[in-house]
Amino acid sequence: MAPPPVYNQRSPSPSQPSGKGEVSDLKMQLRQLAGSRAPGTDDAKRDLFKKVISYMTIGIDVSSVFSEMVMCSATSDIVLKKMCYLYVGNYAKHNPDLSLLTINFLQRDCKDEDPMIRGLALRSLCSLRVANLVEYLVGPLGSGLKDSNNYVRMVAAMGVLKLYHISASTCVDADFPTTLKHLMLNDPDAQVVANCLSALQEIWSLEASKSEEASREREALLSKPVVYYLLNRIKEFNEWAQCVVLELVAKYVPSDSNDIFDIMNLLEDRLQHANGAVVLATIKVFLQLTLSMTDVHQQVYERIKAPLLTLMSSGSPEQSYAMLSHLHLLVMRAPYIFSSDYKNFYCQYNEPFYVKKLKLEMLTAVANESNTYEIVTELCEYAANVDIPIARESIRAVGKIALQQYDVNAIVDRLLQFLEMEKDYVTAETLVLVKDLLRKYPQWSHDCIAVVGNISSKNVQEPKAKAALIWMLGEYAQDMQDAPYILESLIENWDEEHSAEVRLHLLTAVMKCFLRRPPETQKALGDALASGLADFHQDVHDRAMLYYRLLQYDVSVAERVVNPPKQAVSVFADTQSSEIKDRIFDEFNSLSVVYQKPSYMFTDKEHRGPFAFSEELGSLSIGVESADNIVTAQRVEANDKDLLLGTSEKEESRGPGNNGSAYNAPAYDGSPALTAALQTQLDLVSLDHTPAASVSSTSLAIDDLLGLGLPVASTPAPPPPPALELNPKAVLDPNSFQQKWRQLPISISQEISISPQGITALTTPQALIRHMQGQSIHCMASGGQAPNFKFFFFAQKAKESSNYLVECIINTSASKAQLKIKADDQSTSEAFSSLFQSALSKFGLP
Amino acid sequence: MAGAASALFLLDIKGRVLVWRDYRGDVSAAQAERCFTKLIEKEGDPQSQDPVVYDDGVTYMYIQHNNVYLMTASRQNCNAASLLLFLHRVVDVFKHYFEELEEESLRDNFVVVYELLDEIMDFGYPQYTEAKILSEFIKTDAYRMEVTQRPPMAVTNAVSWRSEGIRYKKNEVFLDVVESVNILVNSNGQIVRSDVVGALKMRTYLSGMPECKLGLNDRVLLEAQGRATKGKAIDLDDIKFHQCVRLARFENDRTISFIPPDGSFDLMTYRLSTQVKPLIWVEAQVERHSRSRMEMTVKARSQFKERSTATNVEIELPVPSDATNPNIRTSMGSSTYAPENDALVWKIKSFPGGKEYMLRAEFTLPSITAEEPLPERKAPIRVKFEIPYFTVSGIQVRYLKIIEKSGYQALPWVRYITMAGEYELRLI
Repeated sequence: MAPPPVYNQRSPSPSQPSGKGEVSDLKMQLRQLAGSRAPGTDDAKRDLFKKVISYMTIGIDVSSVFSEMVMCSATSDIVLKKMCYLYVGNYAKHNPDLSLLTINFLQRDCKDEDPMIRGLALRSLCSLRVANLVEYLVGPLGSGLKDSNNYVRMVAAMGVLKLYHISASTCVDADFPTTLKHLMLNDPDAQVVANCLSALQEIWSLEASKSEEASREREALLSKPVVYYLLNRIKEFNEWAQCVVLELVAKYVPSDSNDIFDIMNLLEDRLQHANGAVVLATIKVFLQLTLSMTDVHQQVYERIKAPLLTLMSSGSPEQSYAMLSHLHLLVMRAPYIFSSDYKNFYCQYNEPFYVKKLKLEMLTAVANESNTYEIVTELCEYAANVDIPIARESIRAVGKIALQQYDVNAIVDRLLQFLEMEKDYVTAETLVLVKDLLRKYPQWSHDCIAVVGNISSKNVQEPKAKAALIWMLGEYAQDMQDAPYILESLIENWDEEHSAEVRLHLLTAVMKCFLRRPPETQKALGDALASGLADFHQDVHDRAMLYYRLLQYDVSVAERVVNPPKQAVSVFADTQSSEIKDRIFDEFNSLSVVYQKPSYMFTDKEHRGPFAFSEELGSLSIGVESADNIVTAQRVEANDKDLLLGTSEKEESRGPGNNGSAYNAPAYDGSPALTAALQTQLDLVSLDHTPAASVSSTSLAIDDLLGLGLPVASTPAPPPPPALELNPKAVLDPNSFQQKWRQLPISISQEISISPQGITALTTPQALIRHMQGQSIHCMASGGQAPNFKFFFFAQKAKESSNYLVECIINTSASKAQLKIKADDQSTSEAFSSLFQSALSKFGLP
Repeated sequence: MAGAASALFLLDIKGRVLVWRDYRGDVSAAQAERCFTKLIEKEGDPQSQDPVVYDDGVTYMYIQHNNVYLMTASRQNCNAASLLLFLHRVVDVFKHYFEELEEESLRDNFVVVYELLDEIMDFGYPQYTEAKILSEFIKTDAYRMEVTQRPPMAVTNAVSWRSEGIRYKKNEVFLDVVESVNILVNSNGQIVRSDVVGALKMRTYLSGMPECKLGLNDRVLLEAQGRATKGKAIDLDDIKFHQCVRLARFENDRTISFIPPDGSFDLMTYRLSTQVKPLIWVEAQVERHSRSRMEMTVKARSQFKERSTATNVEIELPVPSDATNPNIRTSMGSSTYAPENDALVWKIKSFPGGKEYMLRAEFTLPSITAEEPLPERKAPIRVKFEIPYFTVSGIQVRYLKIIEKSGYQALPWVRYITMAGEYELRLI
């Protein structure tokens, strides 16, 4: 029943009993009481039991009194019973000899005349978690579910779920899920219904991978009759159970707009519930139901604004934290909703850091033409006043707003004022921002450089700030009188510079400077290259080598590489694809929103429900072509990181997620030298270019996902599709492929036969991959050996960047291929399917 | 799936487990303790104090209350907002049982703690968190308990928040209308933001199953009834009701009708985001004479009608952390130096409307300053006060009717009060 807090390592303090003597004392006393019928025995027992429980809690091993405890438990006193259950639950697990004794004792109590005891005993019995004793659970659970008392039924419903986790087969064989379903639809008690619902949701989604029937049952939970039945009873449920129901309703796919309005009308008053969790769950329902109705969706935003702001500003800081995370997600989707409520996000003096930080993010997100001035004024107060971490965050926020293009003029002035404050941390943060700002608005260089030139490089210690300063020195070498000399002095201290990032920037800056002012920089460049070539850091060494050879080869080429004409950066690459954002939105009202990443990135597989995709894909080897793609993807990512030196704090947030895609690694490992070289070269160039690929893929992802959350049924019938054209240069990175594969339903699944020529040509997967690429269908991964081959293909529509994903399993001995096609745009999947089949049929033909 | 919690921990201030309840068996106490102590060690770093922490596949969510941490651990993608709220409810439950929740009260009551942990959650799903209901089957004083124990009636009852058979000799209801004013004034004296958060707090001592009806000067209602509304009605922005209020009824005809729980509860909360004039205005001027002496002149003015009086006014004025030897004079009230908060606290017991009071203070500063002065934490002036018989919004209780089938007469007592919430003036 309860925990095993057995902390042997923790030595009890002198005031605590040391164990042995006291325990044997207790044993004696318990034995004496066991048989006694004298009045007052129960009171004496209670005292002893309490002592046992206290010992157990502070970590003294009292398992030796087990049999005495069980003997003493023959009583009608409920508190004694509870203590006894607690005790046996704690020790039975670790003491298999005693488990059977315990089970007998609990089974007997499951038939007690007092419903409270029946319930408690049943709960304890189910919580034992001893796998080889599950057979003893079935009987009591079965009668518990039929018990006349609601408390017992409520416990039994959860008990079924517990049993399922100990032994799924026992649970399913006893047909408990069906009983639960019956109970859920008929029980008069709301809590019983709620527990049945929780249990069934968990059981069926875990079972769904194993049996078709379970996945049908899981769908059935979302059917109109069930959802309406629960909604009609929603007022009977307590607040937590309401949340469970609302969570289910949010997944319901309404049949038409009346359906949607009915549900919203019914739930409207839930927005006034005192429990914030209920309000947030209701908001989720509203948002999800109206996804397909743009107008109504906007109205929903208006409607939920006030409750959200109230929840954010009243209640505990922890609640504010959770609410702000959600607000941030919403504001990203609809920036205007809170633009006039920006004052609600002003920080209060004694709020904890985590709340302030999110509020600053909100202020950045809601800034627009009309409120920027006031927001920035407020942020400047924080930068000057409050504690250092907040000051830093505030400066970053100002910078982010500047990059959003509102009222840049005033902001640049402000940033330059920061530099004049002469506080090291303020200067450091500001330098990073000024650098980003200059890359976007080169027209400000004159004003900025004048101020930056006055900063002594000695006062700048933080690597990022130093790198930013050095970048500016290189970039604006012409306008800054002292640039070569400052660089020279920095190079003199090469060995003391610990950050490789700074040294890399130093190399590039001195190169740029040299190309503009050769006579003054020559010596510095020589020193820098010499130090760089001797550097122990691989990247630094490689970059120095590259420059050295470039210069050796041809100075004008070097000029073109290092100092090409630059375009101002128009948009800094977003750190998160809109695909991920949509995924998070689907998981509204969960941890995903707080972490800003979808659940598959932070939960283990068994805790997020079944989906074997990643393993399946991961175990396959990667086709030649796809390896290329992966490198491209990596490259884009590397660029992003470099580009976002200062602006991306969210960078780390995707770290753990990448672990999921184990198959990135082989591509890298295969050619470390090549990629490393690429990497350095790219680092170098990336400072000056926005990678076109990343921009296009972002916008492409937006298009892709517009239709994603929409209920399939409500998609309007499409016009007859024109002849489908595919984009020959389609790009899709493995991560997005994987996510899409997981999200999209299968639109076509069929088996086709393959021509004999095709079979003879298919000696290796590569042959087919090359052929399909000729048809604008690209391979993501492939594997297998004759006679079985497996491929994952993808293709994109020529102009719309809508994706098609295909799983193709070919059996050469049977000359058959099994296709599973998934598409962003369901309406054109037929057309694509025929295209794909014709492409496949041409394989092997001369 | 909404996601379930794996375990619930109660930890002491050093992050060691006091009591815990394992619900799903997939997170161990040692694991949680390790993670949490690591977290506590980083105390100085504000950036690592988020209430939601991820470690090795497990999400920990925690809150602090006195010298106790309450924490859930979960491996699933559970509902963050709801679990954090749940933890606060758990605090309320413990407070109901032990008066105050702290390490000592937990240590003295292990058995009750276990009983409670067992009922508030089952297999990681929240069950009942209402102290009133829980106390029907978990009694604090075990000896007073009857031998035969029935499962809680309220669980089946249509009215889950109130059990039947409650009896009082004298039937009374106390209704407190409490409004707190949040205000932020910037250094130019402009009001940057202001709002009012109101609550109708009720304490009921009523027998049986009383049916209550509350009438407010709600503009929407009065207009619907075609009554004159000049100046007397108010717009309530975002209203939240206790679960006992029939929300559908309110949606239809704005009637607030309910069967109240027994004891104290918040019937309704609301928020008004209208511009409020600062009720108490404080300005401070600081002069630094030479490098060793500092003089502060503070003016406090009450900006409400003369017939009201603010009580327990407390003005917290920030002073430099290295100031010493305070010499303070006030025209009213008393003042103490609180070096632990780097503040001067000026207390005025009674502050009538339309008055102005002064404070003058002198401090000595060390003449030698550190070579690299620490960045100054400039705090705002903060004010606390209460104004009885007054509401900023003008909300009024027009009637409170109590009808019970036995037909007793109940006495409703209504009281109004306005308080300072987050009241910050950056005028220093």
